[in-house]
Order: sequence, then C-alpha cells, then structure tokens
Amino acid sequence: MIRSAAIDRRSFVKAAGLTFLAALPPRALMALERADAVYASGVRQANGSFAVATVSERGEIIDQVALPARSHGMAFSAATGKTVAFARRPGTYAMIFDPHGKTKPIVITAAENRHFYGHGAFSPDGRILYASENDFDGNRGMIGLYDATHRFERIGEFETYGVGPHDMTVSDDGRMLVVANGGIETHPDFGRTKLNLGNMQPSLTLVDAATGALIEKHTLPAEWAQVSTRHVDVDDSGRIWFACQYEGRRNDLPPLVGCFAKGEDLRFVDLPEETTRRLANYVGAIAVNRKDGLVGVTSPKGGASVTIDAISGRVLREEIVPEAAGIAPASTGFAVSSYEGDFLGQRSDVAWDQHIVRIAPSRRV
Amino acid sequence: MRLWYPLVLSLALASHAVAQTAAPQAGQTPAPAGQAAAQAGLNEDAVPAVMQRAVDEVIRPGYRNAQQSAARLTTAMKDLCDKGTPGSLDKAKSAFDDIIRYWSAIEMVQVGPVIQDNLFEHILFYPDRKGVGLRQVQTLIAKADPKDTTVDAIASKSVALQGLTALEYVLYGTGSEDLTNQKSGFRCLYGAAVAGNIQREAAEVVAAWEKPDGIQASWKHPGPQSADFMDNKEAVTALLGTLVHGAENVRDQRLEQFYKGKDTTPRPKMAIYWRSKNTWKSMTSNLEGLRNLWQKAEMADLLPSDKKPVADAIDAKLKSLLETVPKLNPDIEVATSDAEKAKLDQLLVDTRDLVTMISDNYGAAIGLSAGFSFSDGD
Repeated sequence: MIRSAAIDRRSFVKAAGLTFLAALPPRALMALERADAVYASGVRQANGSFAVATVSERGEIIDQVALPARSHGMAFSAATGKTVAFARRPGTYAMIFDPHGKTKPIVITAAENRHFYGHGAFSPDGRILYASENDFDGNRGMIGLYDATHRFERIGEFETYGVGPHDMTVSDDGRMLVVANGGIETHPDFGRTKLNLGNMQPSLTLVDAATGALIEKHTLPAEWAQVSTRHVDVDDSGRIWFACQYEGRRNDLPPLVGCFAKGEDLRFVDLPEETTRRLANYVGAIAVNRKDGLVGVTSPKGGASVTIDAISGRVLREEIVPEAAGIAPASTGFAVSSYEGDFLGQRSDVAWDQHIVRIAPSRRV
Repeated sequence: MRLWYPLVLSLALASHAVAQTAAPQAGQTPAPAGQAAAQAGLNEDAVPAVMQRAVDEVIRPGYRNAQQSAARLTTAMKDLCDKGTPGSLDKAKSAFDDIIRYWSAIEMVQVGPVIQDNLFEHILFYPDRKGVGLRQVQTLIAKADPKDTTVDAIASKSVALQGLTALEYVLYGTGSEDLTNQKSGFRCLYGAAVAGNIQREAAEVVAAWEKPDGIQASWKHPGPQSADFMDNKEAVTALLGTLVHGAENVRDQRLEQFYKGKDTTPRPKMAIYWRSKNTWKSMTSNLEGLRNLWQKAEMADLLPSDKKPVADAIDAKLKSLLETVPKLNPDIEVATSDAEKAKLDQLLVDTRDLVTMISDNYGAAIGLSAGFSFSDGD
C-alpha cells in the first residue's frame, strides 16, 4: 500500500494529541502544521549537549528530547509509534520515546559485559526491540532482545555470528534478522580504537528471529577483507542493501555498496570510479525509498550523497553535500542531513548526527 | 561473490547527475559559531607545513626516542641479570621510568604502523580489567621455563606477557626481591627478554616511519598518490583526531580507569603503572606529547587571525595541566583518598575541557566539523 504524504501528516497530527501540540512553541507548531511527514534524528545542540529531534518533511525541527549522551542510530515501530535512539558505540544507553509526547521516555542500559553498537530495529508487531551489541570479552557480536510490552526489559540475546556488528534490521515478515558485522574488534577499555584492522572479518548474516539460529552467513573475498560491512536496509522485494567503509589504503577503489537476498550470493554495485572516489571509501548511511525503487547513500568524508536505481544498479544522481550525515526516504527521493545543520535544505542551529529514521506509520516510502 | 554489471552501465555513466547543494539563502537562521565555522574554510596553504612538522618534528623523533630508550632498558636489564646488585636494579628501574616517559609521549599516535600486527598492544597491554594478564605473568614466572627467556619466545606469547606492564611486574611486583638475590635468575632473564621485545617492536615502528617513500611521505603529501589522505582536509582531520583522541585517552582510558568521580569507588590498582609509581609521570608525558604535537607542528597556524585566542586557551590549559599532574601523589591509594579527591575531580573537569577546546573550538575554528565525527566507523 502506498501511503500519501497527506495521510502521514494527518495520522501524525492525530496521534500527537493535544498535550504535545500545546507544548510546542508557535514556530514549531507552524512547522508541524506544514509537515507532510516527520523524521527523527540525533543532534548535537549549539551548547554541546545531545538530543533527538523530530523533523518536518521540510527539514524543520519540531521538537527535541534531551539525551544523556551522544546517540547514533534510530529505530521506529510503525505498529506502536515508539522510537529509539541508541547510544553511539561503545555507549551503554538506549532511549525509547514517543515522538508524539504521549508517554515519558524510557532509558535502558546495556547488560553487564555488553555495550550497544549504535543500531537496532523493532519486530513488525512492535513487541520486540532488537539491538546490536558487543560481548566485548568474548569478542562476539550479539543481538539484545528487549520486551517492548514490558518497559523494554531485556529478555534474551542471540549471536550475530560475526565480529563487530553495527547496523541491523528485520525482514518485513519478522522472521529474519539482518546484521552487518563490520568485522572490526573493539573493546570499551580502548574506546573507539579498532583492534584488528590487519585481521578483519566482515560479514553479513541472516539470523532466525525466533530461535537465534544462523540462516546464512556471507563473508567477503580475501582481497576485500578490509571492507567493513556496516549499514543495511531492505527494499520492497526483500532484497538487502548494504553499505561499507574501507579500512585499507585510502587510494584503493574498493566496492562500497552491494545487495543480496536470502539464498543468493552477495553482489557489489559496480559504481563508476568517479562515484567511488566521491564516496571517499566511507559510506556513513544507507536508505531505501521503496516507493521510488531507489537506494541512497551518504558519505560524510566525501561530502556526498548518491542515489542508485534499485533495479539496475545505475547511479542516478550524485549530490555534493558537505559533511553529509543521515539519509532517509522522503516522499520523493531522499531526505539528507549534514553535520553543518542542513536537513532537506533547511539550516538549523544543530549538528545532525549520522542517521535519520522516518517516523511514518508505513515503511512503504 | 559476483560483481554487479548493470545492463546499461554506459548509459548510467553518461547520464547520472552531479548536483551541488544550494548555499544557505539570505534570511535563513544563521548557524552557531561552533557548528558553522566550518564554512569559513580550511587554510589549505598552511596544511603541508603543519603535516611536515608533525611527522618530522614530533612523530618520527618520538618513536626514535622510544626505541633508543628501549635499547637502554635492554642493556640495563641484561646488566641487572649479570650483576644482581642493588645498584644495577636501580639503573634498570631508572631505565624503566625512562621508557615510560618516552613511550607515553608518543602513544597518542594510534594510527599507522603502530596498530599493524597489534604492535601497540605488544608494547603496552593495558588495562587488565580482570587480572588475566597479571595471572599469566605470575604463572610464567612461577613456571620459570628457561625457554621463556628469549625475545623470540616472548614475542610468540600472549600480549600480556610481552610489554611494559609485564616488565613493571618483573621489576616491582611480588617476588621482585629475587632480582638482587640471585644472578641470572629466571625472573630477570624474562624481564630482559621483554625489554628486548619492546625494543624490537619499537624498531619496527621506527623503520616504517623512517622509510622515505612510506607513511611519512604519505602523510606529508596528501593527494591521489597518498595511501592515507586524498586531500589536505583529510590529513588535518586525522591530525586533529590524533590530538583529540590522545586527550580523550588521558581522561577516559587513564584517569577514569581508576577514578570516575567523588561519588564512585576508586580502583587504585587499576591505575596504569601504579606499582612503579609512574601513573602521573606517564600522564604528564601523555600531556607533553599532546603539547609537542600541538606546538611543534604549529597547529595554531591553521587558525584565522581572529581565532588566535582559541590557541591561547589551549596553551593555557595544557600549561595548567602540566603544572598540576606532576604534583599529584604518586601513591595512587593516597591520591584517590577522600582528602585528595577534589584534585582528581578538578582533573576530570580540566581534561574534559581540554578535549572540548581542541575538538570543538579549534576544530570548528580551522574550518572542520571534525570535532563531531572523525568518520571512524559510524
């Protein structure tokens, strides 16, 4: 089903409730009334503090919720409206909030001997929150399972069957977890230091959401062992798109974007050399616009966003975006933000963090 | 594994658009100084000289000093093993203090050759949160297998047995009186092998940095031929990252490893080099290393003239820290006692301020938003 922008706006306003609306400053209320849909993204405010902001389709900030520390990735449940901001690795908190302000935020902390890796996703029914985590003493990637119906109590964990998981998502039917194991070993004792760049083990794994069993594991060829598989999204056909960051020589031209489906080998998109150079061996975020059949990626290092046709793999558009940060599907194409405060062309008094989530009721955008 | 060959690749190459985002329009909300100063632009003309000085006047001499100090340490350890006298022990301990000083001054560089093949961890294994490394050292000494007294043998063992913290236990840990009770005892010979291993590992790092067409050229000449930086901005971002992460390391990985604030329980035996009372000496050298990089590379040259106060503030903060830290009680049990906690609380504040000054204030003032992200795996 294709949801129109107008439906998104109405459902948001309806769900927002009078309390939230009354609490909004007049300028923000104007933005909300003009909104076609909304996004959420972490920000650093001008005073150096951190927050998560909700944003209109025009890129205007609607509201902000303070965070205890810098966040990174976001998750949204279309079923419940709950939204999560995960701490930046190797952080130990995740804050779950209702972007419509109906309930108080909940802050959860990582289990002992675990830390968050900055990403997670909800089951389609919104009952379980999955989070990518690190068993740092065991050097194992883990997926933490949190009961969204009981104040996000931790109810278990699965292995990711890889090292250094980063982004993850859930298949549309909820049966399969998709994990990008970046292959880089880290330990909180060493901050963000990468401990095994000479011996990386990147992989993409499919994990049974019910049992935690490994369904498939895709490793990279030896020549690209330093291509860290870091971010994923799923297109309308169930195909998994992944984006990479390269830890090898800066003047190499590694593959940076690829896709696969269950039962298929990985395929790298054969990006033009010029495009690969523009992405500076570092894709920071990836998003799929299902309606338009597009895949978008951003590179803060290269200051660029690139749009790819999900069917042909053709590069359709490249845009120079200094300090490019997050990317998410817009009504048409993509919404892109930047560290410099730009979001869909609007400049705000914040630095946008690396990821945006579209907090719309349907993923069909 | 298959590569994707789009059916109409040639068409794609010909038709994809490259667009430039529009500059902020007049009347738009101006960005704050801290976040939009990046638009002022990087002083690219000044970058090559800064990078050259960072390499030739800070990094290369720093590693050479550490290697030479490690060589002196190896000699002193062998002398201790031969003589087993209190005098030779004093000299070995003095040489150990010396290597701590030189290594701590260059350990802020955590990119390049030193992170290849885990060389860094071979030289310094820390922290040892669960005491696993300590138990390995104790077990090896108790076992006293003569085969474990060569550099090659040590180099093939756990990282916990190879570096500075292992040698500190040899010189200062339980049973160290054996060093003067017997000549050429196992403990001493093992310590000499560890010193030799540190010397060899440091020599590897030096060799990599001294190779004229190696990393030093890559750092000094950003561009398509560089294996590290495509342009000046990437190079300066990495240099700034070295400074910022070095300052963060002082606070997060060293101080907070044993003291997180007045309302928390201190863990003095988690402090680095607490046995040899080198904790603050090491931190002082860490800070001296940061000041060396900052001042000798003349990183302030990248600042626009109206932003020079940013450099003055960093200079003042480093000076203040370098006056304060050496005066802290070298006995970490005492330094973390209630009577002394206020000093450590202030140190937490000051080191946090230092990070902010370098990352946010300086980073933004030279035209980078690098303080927000170093593109290091997010």
